[in-house]
This record gives sequence, C-alpha cells and structure tokens, in this order.
Amino acid sequence: MLLWLCIRLPQLAREARAGQPRPAAERSEKDLLVQRAALERLAAWAYQWSSLISYAPSEPLLWLELGASCALFDGHAALLAKIEAELVQLGYSHVCALAPSPTAAALLTRATGARHALTQAQLRAQLEPLPLQLLDLPAPILTALRASGLRRIGEVLELPAAAIARRFEPETLLYLQRLCGKVSDPRPAWCLPPTYRSRCEFGLEVRTSTALLFPLRRLLLEFQGYLRARDCSVQRFTLEFEHYRHPGSRVSIGLSAAGRDAAQFLTLVRERLHSLALPAPVRALRLEALEFTSPTIVQTDLFGNDAQPLQQLQRLLDRLRARLGEDSVQALELAADYRPERGWRFLAPERSLAGGANGAGSSGADSSGAGSHSDAPPRPCWLLLEPVRIEAPTQLLRGPERLESGWWDGEDVGRDYYLARTGEGSQIWVFHDRRAGHWYLQGLWA
Amino acid sequence: MDARAVTLEQLSRLCHDGEWRRGLREAAPSGFAELDASLPGGGWPMGAVCEFMPAAMGIGELSLLAPALSQLAQAGRCIAWIAPPYLPYAPALVQQGLPLNRVLIVQTRGVQESLWAAEQALRCPAFGAVLSWPADITDKNVRRLQLAAEAGGSLGILYRPPEAAQEHSPAALRLRLRPTQNGLTVEIHKCRGGRAGVRLQLPMSRIDAALAVHSFAATRA
Repeated sequence: MLLWLCIRLPQLAREARAGQPRPAAERSEKDLLVQRAALERLAAWAYQWSSLISYAPSEPLLWLELGASCALFDGHAALLAKIEAELVQLGYSHVCALAPSPTAAALLTRATGARHALTQAQLRAQLEPLPLQLLDLPAPILTALRASGLRRIGEVLELPAAAIARRFEPETLLYLQRLCGKVSDPRPAWCLPPTYRSRCEFGLEVRTSTALLFPLRRLLLEFQGYLRARDCSVQRFTLEFEHYRHPGSRVSIGLSAAGRDAAQFLTLVRERLHSLALPAPVRALRLEALEFTSPTIVQTDLFGNDAQPLQQLQRLLDRLRARLGEDSVQALELAADYRPERGWRFLAPERSLAGGANGAGSSGADSSGAGSHSDAPPRPCWLLLEPVRIEAPTQLLRGPERLESGWWDGEDVGRDYYLARTGEGSQIWVFHDRRAGHWYLQGLWA
Repeated sequence: MDARAVTLEQLSRLCHDGEWRRGLREAAPSGFAELDASLPGGGWPMGAVCEFMPAAMGIGELSLLAPALSQLAQAGRCIAWIAPPYLPYAPALVQQGLPLNRVLIVQTRGVQESLWAAEQALRCPAFGAVLSWPADITDKNVRRLQLAAEAGGSLGILYRPPEAAQEHSPAALRLRLRPTQNGLTVEIHKCRGGRAGVRLQLPMSRIDAALAVHSFAATRA
C-alpha cells in the first residue's frame, strides 16, 4: 500500500540562505529560484529513503513515498524519526504528515492535531472534523461551498459526486476523489541526476570561515544523502567559493579511499579552509562531484569497532594532505641503482601500504629494486639529498668501498666511500670523488 | 590477565599489576637487554612520549630505536617520520629490518605544522611509533603530544637538542645520548615509574660488526 510522506518547508527560502534575512521588498522571483534549488537538493537527499520523490516548488512541499521502504527501515515511525532528525540537522523548519495519497498528506501538513493517517479509514476520520478552508481549492469554490452551509471537510466529502460534477469544474471532483483515495493520484517522479551539482547562495556576504561552516555542513549532509541514495561513494569533489567581482576560489577535496561520510568530508574541508586564503567575502557556495565509485564496504567486527586500522590510516592520510598539501605524505621504495642518491624513490603511500597490508612484506623482499641492495654493505640511516662538499676527513674508520656506475646515463660516478668520524663523535658516510678529487659528505650513521 | 580475585592478597596483586601499572601501558622491548632492565615494563613505553637528546647527529640515535621500530612495523603498525632532518635512506632501513611498506614520511613547513602532524599521527592507533624533530617545543606542546600518544597507544619519539635537558618536560622518558668509541652512552634523565640517573653503555653493533662481515669488494655496475 502506498504511504506518502509530505514535508512542508514553510521557511525554506529564508533558511536556504543560511538564515540571513532579506528585506521584504526584495522577496521576488529570486526567492523562488533559491527555493527551487533547495528543493532539488532536498529531493536528492530524500532519495536515500524512497525511490519515488516529488516536489512542488510553489508551496514548497516535498513528497516521499514510504510504503515501499518502511520494512527496510524498521517501520514508518522509526523512518519518520530518522528523516525528521536529519531535517533538524540540516536546519530546515518543517511539518511532516503521512497519508495514503499525496494530496491528503499535503492537506494534513496544514492541519493542526494528528497528522499521520496510515489507512483510508484513519484518513477519513482525521479529515472529517477539519475546517473547509484547508482544502486546496480555488477561493470562489470554497466561498460557494460555505454559502451552501458546509463548514467541515467531512460534510463536503459526503456530497454526491454527481452533484459536485454538475456544479463545479471537473478538477474539483478530481481533487476530492484523490483526497480520499478514490482515484489514483500520480505525481511526476523526480529523477536522480547522474552527476551532483549543488549551490547555496547567501543573503549576505560571508566574511569569516567559521560562518561558512554551517552552510558547508548542510551542503555536505545533502551530498551524503545523494551518495547514499545512489549507493555510491566519491573519491574527489570540488567546492567553489563564489565572490563578488572576483573569480571563484576552487578547492578540490580528494580522499585516499572513496567515502560518503559527511562528517569526514567536513573535517577535510575544515583543514583546507585553514590554509586557504579567500580573496574576498563569499556570496555563494557550490559543490560539484562528477565521478562516483562503488561504495567501500565498512566492515564492523563483532563488537561494533568499525574503525579498522587501515581505514583510520586512510582518514589520517586525507587529513594530513588536506592541511599540509597533496604530496606532503610519502612512502619509500628501493630503486635498482648502485648510486646511493638513486637507490631509493618516493612512492604514494596508498601503493606502499597496499603491498602486504598485514606487514608481511619484510626486509628487502618487498620491492623489485632490492636486487642491487641485498648484497650491499651496511648503509647509513640518514642520507643527504645532495652530497655536501667537505674538507678531507681526518679520521677514516673503514673503507674504501669503490663505486663505479652510471656511465650509461651521463651521471657517471667514480667514488670511494669511507666511514669517517667527526670531532663530535658522529659517524659519517663520505666519499672521495675520484674524477674531481674532492671529498663529499653523503650520509650519517644515526 | 585473569581479572578475578579470590583472596585479599590476590586483590592487592591485581591492583598492583593491573590498575596501577595500566598508566604505563605495555612496553615495546628495545632490543637492548641492559636498557630494558632499566625501563619500567621492560622496554620503550607505549602510549607515551620519549625525548631523545643526542649530543650530535649521527651517533646512533636511530639505531638505538631500530629494533623496536622494526618489531612494531612487522606487527603491522606504521612508523611516521615527521619532518626528518635528513632523508631516511631506504636501503639502510631495510638492512635494519624495517619493512618499507610501513614507513611514512610527512613533510611540513614549520614547527607548528610538524607538531600538528605528530599529534594527528599519535592519535591514530594504526601507528606504532611517531618520530619527530621539532626545532622548538614548549612544555604545553609536549603535554599535548603525550595525551595524543595515550589516546593512540603509540610510541612518540621527540628528538631534541642536548640543551633541552636543562628544561622541565612532561615526557614519560627522557634520555641523553653521547657517543663513545664503539657505542652509545645512554643516560636516563627522567623516567616515569622508574629510576632516573642510570647511565648505560650500549654497544652499537650496527656498523662495526656488520662491517666486519662484509668485504669491501669493488662494486661494478
């Protein structure tokens, strides 16, 4: 059986601007646009609970067909509580009503008292005592009905259909029949767009990044709803801060593992905001996601410890990168080259961690470049990226280890490596360049 | 641990071994028997911050830690190097038994970022140890890191200049390191739950023994 939830959002236009009031004179078509955009976002958000969504931009009303999803979400009461809780989080004032038909649900949102009717009989009982004015009919018709001595909806519903059809336009009868479920009540089904774009405009310009957090949170929560609805995750999305007379500032947020958790997104965005210098106050906020991936299954263990080490690590990586820069975190791997400065290279941490997630890959065996290192003499823990030219060391402890390599790529080296001790007692790794005859420091035995 | 106590004596032992010592958490064996004997719990204290104050760079300040790091990494926990002063040389790390797929290097642009990154990494239980080299650090910062280490259960290592020994610090363990002819003198400057003032001579077999094995044959590509 169909069960429609209707959400009336009386303050939508004002709240969609992040709560900033607008002079009454300016309330105009622009408000309708803002309202429509907000409803679009809410429809995407609501799709996580229902596959049949519809909205009316003029009122503004949002309908969700819940009959099909009740069982999945532990009954209509639990589902309704969940939806209302998220609406509160989003910061929209709302009135919810449940009824077997969308027309009736919309009417009940205007009523005072009980607003939930699960069956036709319940609906009828709730409609009957309601005043006539709540009917969504043109004013002349309502006046005519009242002139005939009718006061309550119940009295109107008892009128014979033929009598109504004769006196008023056919729409009136259709409306009344839809209201009590006598004829079907189709709604244009809203379709989930294949890419996600949302925009939130502020009434006033926002000057501080703290003031941006509230609209950001809402935008990300709605985005999370969309991702849940499509049952997909996102690995990259773009935020754009629009300015007046300035090109917008774009921030691309990347995740090391695809996710759809608004709280996680918000942490990353906050870290980015921390280091981002916005050139001008912000007028609007835009969120865009073009590519989606299948969701990463979050595995929970028996005791509900859902944060697995690898996931915690990925979240940490994201946080570090968001604040310190995209390539601030690096892993290491061996490279097949005898020249110390080329015997290693940086590696994206994801690729490194993927190799033996249990730490099974141990010394040497975890890289293809290990060949030239496996039989090498001990190496110092610290390497200087550029060898530093030094005076000839006085105290050579071991050596030489001769290294001739690189004649094929123009970086030909001929070096004798020694272990030396400094006056302070540090042990250093130095080489004597046999071509130029100079001494260089290349490492420290820490 | 068996958490039942039948007699009063058992109860008192339980309180002693369990609750009282819980503040110290478990310890990661350092790989040096002498040192382990002087540290409460028998190793580096997990869930705490240790300060290493080497007299100079390149005296064995990393080798002292290497056995513990390699054990932690082999157990699957990551080792974070926050803004190291030089590049950790991959072939040497492998020689010390550290799996490279557990090594993460974080580059920062200043002390504040380094401290922030160290705190974040310490809070994450996926890390076994977090090494950092802050140029300038206050009491308050150390305390923050200490709390983060407690939350994440990992080992925080701060490398500080030798002058830092004059200052007070809330770190659980503070060591002064000095080079000797063929090893390292470790002086326990402060030790929570243990005895300070102990001075140990640790042989750093890292270079000499290993070098003796290898002959320096000319390496030709």
